[in-house]
Amino acid sequence: MVVNSLSFLCFFLVVLVVYYLLSTKKVLQNSFLLACSYWFYAQVDLKMTGLLVLLTIIFWGIGYGIQKAIEQEKERLASRLTTLSVVVGIGALFYFKYLNFFIGSFVAAADLIGIHLSWTASHIIVPIGLSFFTFKLMSYPLDIYHGKIGHEYNIFNFANFIAFFPTILSGPIDRPKPFLKQLTQSRLFNPDNLMTGFRRVLWGMFMKMCIADRLDLYISAVWNNFEHHSAVSILFASLLYPFQMYADFSGYSEMAIGVSLMLGFKVAENFKRPFFTLNISQYWSRWHMSLTSWLTDYVFMPLNIKLRDWGTNGTIAAIMLNMTFIGMWHGADWTFFLFGIYHGLWYIPLMVSGQFFKKTKIKVNNHGLPTSPFAMKMVGNYIVVTFGLMLFHSTDISEFWAVLCRIPEAWNGGLFFDMPTMVNAAICSIALIYVDFQEEWFPNKKLYLPRFAETYRWELTIALEIIAILLFGIFDNNQFIYFQF
Amino acid sequence: MKKLLLHIAIVACLFFVFDRLLGFGLGLLYSQSNATDEYKISYSNEMTRDPILFFGSSRCLHHYVPAIFEKELGKGCFNTADWGIKNIYYHYGLLSNILTRYTPQTIIFEIHPCDWLKTPYSDVERANSLAPYCGMSDGCDEMLRQSGNYWKYQLSWVYRYSGSFPSLLTGKFGSMDRSLKGWKPMDGVMDTTGIKAEEYPFVEDSVKITLLKRFINDCQQHHIRLIMVESPMYVCSQQDVFEFPRKLAQKHHIPFLDHYRDSDFVGHAELFYDFGHLNREGAKRFSEKLSKELRKIRPAI
Repeated sequence: MVVNSLSFLCFFLVVLVVYYLLSTKKVLQNSFLLACSYWFYAQVDLKMTGLLVLLTIIFWGIGYGIQKAIEQEKERLASRLTTLSVVVGIGALFYFKYLNFFIGSFVAAADLIGIHLSWTASHIIVPIGLSFFTFKLMSYPLDIYHGKIGHEYNIFNFANFIAFFPTILSGPIDRPKPFLKQLTQSRLFNPDNLMTGFRRVLWGMFMKMCIADRLDLYISAVWNNFEHHSAVSILFASLLYPFQMYADFSGYSEMAIGVSLMLGFKVAENFKRPFFTLNISQYWSRWHMSLTSWLTDYVFMPLNIKLRDWGTNGTIAAIMLNMTFIGMWHGADWTFFLFGIYHGLWYIPLMVSGQFFKKTKIKVNNHGLPTSPFAMKMVGNYIVVTFGLMLFHSTDISEFWAVLCRIPEAWNGGLFFDMPTMVNAAICSIALIYVDFQEEWFPNKKLYLPRFAETYRWELTIALEIIAILLFGIFDNNQFIYFQF
Repeated sequence: MKKLLLHIAIVACLFFVFDRLLGFGLGLLYSQSNATDEYKISYSNEMTRDPILFFGSSRCLHHYVPAIFEKELGKGCFNTADWGIKNIYYHYGLLSNILTRYTPQTIIFEIHPCDWLKTPYSDVERANSLAPYCGMSDGCDEMLRQSGNYWKYQLSWVYRYSGSFPSLLTGKFGSMDRSLKGWKPMDGVMDTTGIKAEEYPFVEDSVKITLLKRFINDCQQHHIRLIMVESPMYVCSQQDVFEFPRKLAQKHHIPFLDHYRDSDFVGHAELFYDFGHLNREGAKRFSEKLSKELRKIRPAI
């Protein structure tokens, strides 16, 4: 059951009605929300619901232990418990997601030096949303240890934070403090939240179904048969892929944020028009923001502090490690490892030139638009991101290499152009680019509407968005790219 | 709450008005389209009056040249077939729609294993091509109901044309040659490297078989002469692929003209566009051969 499916719509409507009927009784409302979250997760991954509950109990217990140790001024015990929580979190991730990868890589490496091992990969099913909820789990004891929050004595509240159904499958990765705070207050029926949330859900659906899924038809057709496509088609599909990823993942995030808002929760934002950036550092500060901020706080900052004696080299090392984590977080394959390294390498010139620490203000012309040099830099950065995502899209290194080799040898073919798919995608993409453009450069300027239409601007937008989804959307592709992580 | 309900009511009204207006406009564009797919489906459903109709999927679309049959049989023909592995769900819906307008004398049905086998690539979703004709006939509605989309198409007229906006916009400017009467020739000669026979390792689909029988019954009830045909393939499967339709035809006293292993065509790469589709020349030769065969059939067509 995914957020843009009919079954989710039915589920959510029932949840919404009961949820607000219970709004005067906070405990009942929270309990109902938790039951719904577990039911939702069980619908998606029944076998792993037990693991989710078990990890929740373990981390809540560790959190309790850390809190008590801090209160009793047992610093060492608190530190050990925090380490334990990290070991359990990383251990769960390692076992479910990376064990087979490391075994396979080890066997292959041994094979290269003539040692033939007969280890075989075990059949391990990766729980859906593991990378997302493990990070939420780990942030809890770490925040208690660092004094950012106190222990949440109500385990149901903590379980609600971990299993919150709009965000459990693909984020945003929320932090304990703001979310737990919201759980302590009753969420009363608020039409404004409901309407704003619904608009974000619709916008997310538009991005996912009308842009990402449409572009996927073209990109998959080229990438899955790259041996038979020309260099121009491969490059064109590769250039479209970042935009597809953006529409897919940002679309999901919009839906998750919208559904959360309809339930009265403000969760972390995940995207902020990432292609209007001048370099890779700015790009990562606007792409999958909840993950990058998590890794900045819990990986980069501690590493940077540890390595500060090395000066700039220490920061570069911290960045490289941080980016490698980002890459590997996405999946267990060398392509993801190289994806992380590749992005990390782009930070080095920024570090050396000092731009990493500078806030570059984009110069605008008389029309309020970025000047040509800045626009060119944005295009350049998009190309840098594209190359990284070619690694990301490849199933393994050999495929990536084969695609790269195909490009110089297939220059004589023309562009593969699937007219209906591309025109549908283009119409919707122009709408997305227009909206992003307005929000980035003219945030206070509204599209002019005649007086009658202005009165019903909200209703008109909703009705037109629904029509657009029905006309341009793809309704049988419910899989989101980020579900695999 | 009152404010919210008012918002919802306004949204619902606006949606209804936009949907009906745009849906109506798209319907007009669809009917007048000169683009191959839309023209083919709209003409078959709304306009054809020819006494002989060809039914089937892409093999029928590319193999049957109406002009040749018209010349030989002296009657008007139209090829209603559509590409995209259409199956009996689509054919049954289309027949039902046609029967609301007129009764053709003869239907020549190029049967395909997808019409009776449970294949992963051609199932009930093929009926959705008839979405613009939701409400035209009970049979069509039943197929759309089975595909799970009937109520969605009733609720939204725009949804019936989902994904076809660009082709509808440009359809007016298409250059469909209407004199071909539904036939779509394929030019070029196949590349024979690595060609293997297409196998069908699938079980029988009871729903499709029921529909196939209903298709036959409906034809018989309306006194439509039904003839099942299997046109040639470049390479043939070792298994007796057409045992089921042959027996079915026998049971219902329907002629079954099996050209699947026709030696005039099998293995002749120069007559094929790909392993399953005849090219222009192959289609003409096959149509000539079949039309002569049909002429000899008694009672006469």
